[in-house]
Amino acid sequence: MIALESVSKRYGSKTIIHDVSFTVGTGEIVGFLGPNGAGKTTTMRMIAGYTTPSSGNIRVAGFDMATQNEDAACKIGYVPEIPPLYDVLDVSAYLMFVATVKGVPRRAIRADLDRVITACRLEAVATREIYKLSKGYRQRLGLAQALLGKPEVLLLDEPTAGLDPGQIQETREVIRAFGEKHSVLLSTHILPEVTLICARVAIINHGRLLAIDSPSGLQQASEQTNSVTLDATAPEQPLREALASIEGVNAVSVRTLPGHESLHRVECQVDARDGIEARIARAVAGRWELHRLERQQPTLENIFLRYVGARQLDGARA
Amino acid sequence: MRGLLAIYRKEVATYFRSPIAYYVISVFLLGTGYFFLYNVFMTGIGTMNETFQNMGVLLLTVIPLITMRLFSGEYNARTMELLMTLPLKPWQIVIGKYMGALTMLVLMTAATCINLIPLYLYGNPETTTIASGYIGFLLLGMACLAIGQLFSSLTQNQIIAALITVPVLIGFWFIGHLQSFQSSYLLRSLFGYLSFSQHFADFIRGLIRSEAVVFYLVVSAIALMLNTSYLQWRR
Repeated sequence: MIALESVSKRYGSKTIIHDVSFTVGTGEIVGFLGPNGAGKTTTMRMIAGYTTPSSGNIRVAGFDMATQNEDAACKIGYVPEIPPLYDVLDVSAYLMFVATVKGVPRRAIRADLDRVITACRLEAVATREIYKLSKGYRQRLGLAQALLGKPEVLLLDEPTAGLDPGQIQETREVIRAFGEKHSVLLSTHILPEVTLICARVAIINHGRLLAIDSPSGLQQASEQTNSVTLDATAPEQPLREALASIEGVNAVSVRTLPGHESLHRVECQVDARDGIEARIARAVAGRWELHRLERQQPTLENIFLRYVGARQLDGARA
Repeated sequence: MRGLLAIYRKEVATYFRSPIAYYVISVFLLGTGYFFLYNVFMTGIGTMNETFQNMGVLLLTVIPLITMRLFSGEYNARTMELLMTLPLKPWQIVIGKYMGALTMLVLMTAATCINLIPLYLYGNPETTTIASGYIGFLLLGMACLAIGQLFSSLTQNQIIAALITVPVLIGFWFIGHLQSFQSSYLLRSLFGYLSFSQHFADFIRGLIRSEAVVFYLVVSAIALMLNTSYLQWRR
């Protein structure tokens, strides 16, 4: 549905997007994750046809965005970061305008308007001028506009920014329902959002695509370097040796907790294997006193920071 | 075609849902009314000739008020991102907006016809001369609108759009004056040909020259084409 093939974007001599390739299939919601200024918005704009890539190829709904962007535009619902609203128009007039331009047949316009107004909970403000709307309503009107017509692809640039928790919930429901039969690319820097609704996540930083996988896939991939933390009352050297001899434990670091001579906090770097906590617990509890044992699950946040942070360090070194 | 018309309707709605339309039309009516009274009552001659001349100058100051928001406003409100990602070709956006601005011009011009009532009641004006003057005025306005719209597409800032448009229009209006300083025949005719006011003067005298009609239409077309290419290039 959406296919990017080694897409780059340069402004003058500065390259903003480096060789990005990925696809979003039908019935799939892909999260586009990256810190501010990573190139999310530029990539979204290229897919939406607002700007063209300097090199590479973008296809949306089977149309080449370089040559058939008007045909593709009928299939795309695009919500920019700042909702593109005409303040002096009222909500219905605005939606009517967008629906007409999108080529919704005249007889179907009324029904289509009602559909998106209901889906985005805009009933209360349907006749109000847009400049009078609160931020939450403006955001949802931006989404309503994108749902008009029969888009097959939805591009959302931070769709839940500025909404209250209830509205975020509703907006996610709308996106999820749409994503069941269509393609959605959703950019965000809110991590839980991605875990909640996205089938796959693309991580981007400094204009480079760092990883693309399902949230659990990304978690598994980074469990290799997972760590187990434990507190135990034990002599330092034997504890270290006992732990290091367990199969699956790669590295052990021990430090004495302040104020307790024999209370140590140990961090073990372990393989991503089930039952490793149990083996560590047996080895320690059999001989000494074990107070706490915790497996640090990699959250998406850790993974994200690892990817983004590693790259930033690389950049600093280079 | 539906897209173009939708843009047109949106533009007209935008003018009339904000104070611009009412402000521009009333300022223009007040100004024209004043010049009309002054010309007719002070000179005692029942024609529109002098008034048309003044309307031309007044138009140069009013045009930027109509055109400055056309694109700058869209950039500023981030709605250009919507227009450029909807199934619209750049020329449809340009022409739709231009038609919206033209509607303002036509309404403004039509409103000045109120001056004709006393003229016909108490005088004996030449209808064909007046008609020719109005045709010239509309053509002049078309060229000015296209230029103003072009400059609006070049900047995010409406004020800057207006600040560029005014001197350019005034330049085109007064460029004919440079003729007196030129000995070269070529430059003299060039300045004469480019002069908005000299072509307009023919219309006021009741002379519809095809050369003048073509001049205004070509200026409009060039400005609108540049406008379209700019949008295309910006992508």
